Amino acid sequence: MKLAPTSVRGIMLAVSVALLPGIALQAWQFGPAVWLQTGWCTLFALLLEALCLRLRQLPVRQGLSDFSWLVCGLLLGQALPLMVPAWMMLVAALVALGLTKHASGGLGQNRLNPVMAGLGVIAVCFYQQLYPAPSAQLPWTQGLSIQQVLAQQWLLEPRLQLDSLSGATPLAHDQLADASPYVAWIGYLAGGLLLVLLRVIRLEIPLAMAASSVLLCILAGHPPLEALYSLTLGGFIFAAFFIATDPVTSPDSRFGRILFGAAIGAITELVREFGLYADGLCFAVLAGNLLVTQLDALSRRLFQPWYRVKMN
Amino acid sequence: MPQLAPPLPYSSPASPWLQRLFKPFRRTGQRWRGGIKLADHKALSNQTPIQQIAVKGLRIAVPLGDGRRQVEPCVVAGQQVLKGELIGRGEPMSLWAHASTSGRVAAIERAYPADRDQPVPVVIIEADGRDRWIERQPVNTPQNAAELAQFSLQMGLIGLGGAGFPTGIKIAGSQQSDLLLINGAECEPFVTCDDRLMRERADTIIAAADYLSRVLEIAQVRIGVEPNKPEALAALNAAVAATGSRVQICRLPHRYPAGGQPMLVKSLSGRTLSPGMLPAEVGVMVLNVATLHALGRAVFHGEPLVSRVVTLTGDVDKPGNVEVPIGMPVPALLAAAQPRDQQRGVQVGGPMMGRELSHPNAVISKTSSCLIVRCDDLFPPRPPAGDCIRCNRCVDVCPMALQPLKLYAASQRADRITLQQEQLAACIECGACSHVCPSNLPLRDSFRDAKRELLAGARQ
Repeated sequence: MKLAPTSVRGIMLAVSVALLPGIALQAWQFGPAVWLQTGWCTLFALLLEALCLRLRQLPVRQGLSDFSWLVCGLLLGQALPLMVPAWMMLVAALVALGLTKHASGGLGQNRLNPVMAGLGVIAVCFYQQLYPAPSAQLPWTQGLSIQQVLAQQWLLEPRLQLDSLSGATPLAHDQLADASPYVAWIGYLAGGLLLVLLRVIRLEIPLAMAASSVLLCILAGHPPLEALYSLTLGGFIFAAFFIATDPVTSPDSRFGRILFGAAIGAITELVREFGLYADGLCFAVLAGNLLVTQLDALSRRLFQPWYRVKMN
Repeated sequence: MPQLAPPLPYSSPASPWLQRLFKPFRRTGQRWRGGIKLADHKALSNQTPIQQIAVKGLRIAVPLGDGRRQVEPCVVAGQQVLKGELIGRGEPMSLWAHASTSGRVAAIERAYPADRDQPVPVVIIEADGRDRWIERQPVNTPQNAAELAQFSLQMGLIGLGGAGFPTGIKIAGSQQSDLLLINGAECEPFVTCDDRLMRERADTIIAAADYLSRVLEIAQVRIGVEPNKPEALAALNAAVAATGSRVQICRLPHRYPAGGQPMLVKSLSGRTLSPGMLPAEVGVMVLNVATLHALGRAVFHGEPLVSRVVTLTGDVDKPGNVEVPIGMPVPALLAAAQPRDQQRGVQVGGPMMGRELSHPNAVISKTSSCLIVRCDDLFPPRPPAGDCIRCNRCVDVCPMALQPLKLYAASQRADRITLQQEQLAACIECGACSHVCPSNLPLRDSFRDAKRELLAGARQ
């Protein structure tokens, strides 16, 4: 257990490293747009973190040295839909770091998950301007070159016409994409399990999320295998291991964490089943974050310490 | 109301054959919540036997009283005293003071004990170096609890583990106890004074335990030792076998703070010592091995508590354990260990629960168990504190099931109501939370301060 990080910086770097296999697989499947988006988000996160620290009159170098901005940037790059323009990334980073984290009082003080708050604003406000998410069946971003992606991100070229694209891409790729399933979740799962082994995150939240989601899916009438398969879709594994387990915005007791995970899994499944959005993870996590105080209070009421507490 | 039937921490198997079969598992105490494994650094100082130290020409400053009650000096400047001679006495329940070496009384003034912030009155003795004892009285051994309590106070016995509670008062309050627990855990890293004491003087410890259980009419005696001291365990077992004593030697869980009082009581008796309770309320009496050894010296040899074993360790050339007269000046004692760097800070007590040396010219008190000369590789300086990321590691390790992160936030904004609701009073100040905090927050220190402020607020 010598490898387990013992400092905040170590924890943040461990999370960043654990994200890499997932990002790499994502990029392998969906092309250079993934790397570019991650890079821009990280850069914006760094600049905004420095700016916020400066505005709050805190030591900038020391504030940046905990690398929480790196985790935030990497997560934001994965959480945002692919091919969003750069200004949307900036808005999301501003909401995440400026409004959610620093406006609440800095690292450890925010009640909402910064990345999910940033994504939530983009998802709600700019819904019409988002491209349809590339899927394993239709990885339309894969064929784009770096120049094309950059031009789209910085609005230098007119918006892509997806009708032609979606028609053209499968043909261009000779049905290859059809055969390969969505794989990035394997990378995220591996990274998440690594973090569990390093004791950076706890398994309770991902397990509870998966269990409640699968259970609800089966109750909704889907066959069990399909319910299990639904776990690999979208950002479920990514959110379960890297977003919901954020210690700052999750409960402080094991019982609370289990309820928290179960609530997120259930809301996700409800949104998937009935909602407007393809993936309700963002709203599920934000709702869970708001419940944290109540969950903690509930578990304190239910569980007494091993000795008799004297109330005065 | 004490529980009368003690829940045993281990099952007592029916036949000797079964007993032998279960032996490896039998004598391990119950586990408790939380705690941490620490690198113990004990091999630094536990390799050599306890040394005596020369005091000729030194100014030994013997504290008067235990910090709770003062006693009046009964010697005057210029008077010759012998080792063990009474130099301070007071009302019946106060702790008498004795000269810790022979020499001439130079003055009565104030000095800093190594582990106290406030100076206390002391009797300064210029040691003549001959270390002559007074005539140790042919002892008329106390035969009941009341006599023994009075005797212990007059012999200056206090708990040598760290809290420094007068043993006589503990004995007087333990008349209903049915279980005597001896704390040989020594769970702090670096400290090895109890380890050496158990290895070298196990027979005195066992004899004293037997005597005490007979006088107090306590049926069961258990000594708890952490399993990282196999030699001490072997020595105790040998002493028990040699005398046919009823004392049970138990292994404690090898986790810090196994020697904390609630943890020790849990491990060895299965009883629950809630915060704010005295061990006597659950029918248990807890003594440290070093205290028991001092009690044995007092009862069997008529020697008052005038010396204690102190571990000298850290960045020194001659680490080891030294039997030191109470009131020995710390600089002289450190010089004997030959620190490699004179400028380094000195830690008194263990690295977890101990503290910085209070004053450069402080003196060894009855509760100072260890001096550690700090060094960067064994004893790294604490990096600056960051922000709490609520990682919950402090919650995991807290043996008292508290929420240190909430307590810390509340103590930062001086929120008394939350501090009380979150049971700050239950904190045993073991420092496990500070040790695991990835942000290096001074959790334990802030709890210590907050507790003091809460008490001060309650008094007003």
